Amino acid sequence: MNYRPDENVLIAYLYGELGTNEKEKLENYFQQHPEELAKLRALSEVREVMSLVQDKEVIAPPVFVDDIKERPLWQSPYVRFAVGIAASILFLLVAGKLLGPEITYSNGELRISFGKKTEQVVPANNLTEEKVSDMIASSWAKNNESLTAARNEDQKKLMQTIVDFNSKKIDALTKTASQANQDEVRSFVAGLQEQNLKLMKDYFQLSTADQKKYMETLLVDFSTYLQEQRKQDLQFVQAKVNNLEKNNNQFKQETEQILTSLISNPGKKQNNY
Amino acid sequence: MAETLLDIAMMHSDSLIARAREGDKNAQGKLVQLWYKRIYNFSYKFFFDHDLAMEVSQKTFISMHKNLVSLQEVARFKSWLYTIAVNYCREEARKKKASRSFSLNDLNPGEGEESYRWEESHHRNENPERQLRHSELSDLLQKCLMQLSAEQREVVIMKEYEGLKFREIAEALNISENTVKSRMYYGLNALKNIFEQKKITKETIGYEL
Repeated sequence: MNYRPDENVLIAYLYGELGTNEKEKLENYFQQHPEELAKLRALSEVREVMSLVQDKEVIAPPVFVDDIKERPLWQSPYVRFAVGIAASILFLLVAGKLLGPEITYSNGELRISFGKKTEQVVPANNLTEEKVSDMIASSWAKNNESLTAARNEDQKKLMQTIVDFNSKKIDALTKTASQANQDEVRSFVAGLQEQNLKLMKDYFQLSTADQKKYMETLLVDFSTYLQEQRKQDLQFVQAKVNNLEKNNNQFKQETEQILTSLISNPGKKQNNY
Repeated sequence: MAETLLDIAMMHSDSLIARAREGDKNAQGKLVQLWYKRIYNFSYKFFFDHDLAMEVSQKTFISMHKNLVSLQEVARFKSWLYTIAVNYCREEARKKKASRSFSLNDLNPGEGEESYRWEESHHRNENPERQLRHSELSDLLQKCLMQLSAEQREVVIMKEYEGLKFREIAEALNISENTVKSRMYYGLNALKNIFEQKKITKETIGYEL
């Protein structure tokens, strides 16, 4: 007998949900295979232990849910959406009727207009580039001409004004000169000579005083310089003499030391340091 | 498991379901009262978490209220209701996994009278010490249950605690009866191994109690 129950049969048997025939077959199998029965009993024990898990007490809270009301068709979202669009279109149509819009498209130009149609301004399309440049050139020439004419006229007026003014001044001077007599001229010239003489005198006096002062200052500075130079030379000579004396003394001392050393150690060989 | 009046009422609630399906508010309210504890306990055993169980229960009954009209056969109400509950359990499990949060109930509360375990006890007239041991044992076994995979746990809870037939579980989970049995078999074997690891046997439990 090759009957071997699978886990589905075993679990159905464990929970008493196995048909009568299958159950008998399985029980015969268990008689021959008690180890399988022991395994199933172990699972049964697991069930017994698990049955000790207690249920938790809980109080059902009141569950309030809004009634799902049957909405009339006109209140459904789709209908409202469609009605909204229709109303918008109607509004546009009415507004269009009242405002009288006109939409035209010609020569690549989209034109939307409202109300009464106004006369279209026809652009001057007979202008060419050459014509425009000619127009600019002629306008430029006219402008230049008018400017030149205005400038010439102004220049003439200005010259006339200057000539008039100078002639008046010269006339006045001539008139004054003609009225002066010979004595007045002489006194004027003598006054000028005296004034010039005085100026010359003052200048020479001032110049002489400045030169004298300058020379004195120069001499004083030079003598100060010489004294200072002499003093420095003397100091330099003194320093040299001192140095010479110092060297002489040192040489003398060294010579004395060497002599002393030679005298005190006549037979000893001299060390080189 | 001794049948209570509530269980009997649940088994004979066909007319109630029919009325509720036709929009009877009173019948719908009674259905919630009848089934709330079962759905809550199913969810609680699935998550071992009061808050999540409450969340799933409420969502399940709101969904039931909205979709009861679409229920074709009154006889399939039970599996239909568990289908909704299982779907919400899976949804919450996914959210929990994504958020990696934990319930405050995961923390070990004090064992004094302030303990929610004492508060939720329905056998207060019993010996408190014995009741506490029952509660501790229940939690221990619940933790063993949590070690099963979600698929095995669903089947074990539905079969062992909710008393659904294999056919009803298959309907609720939309899988074949053989798959249900197979998951049940391996689930029980897994629990046996867990008990062996934790040295939980009928004898040790009997000694403890």
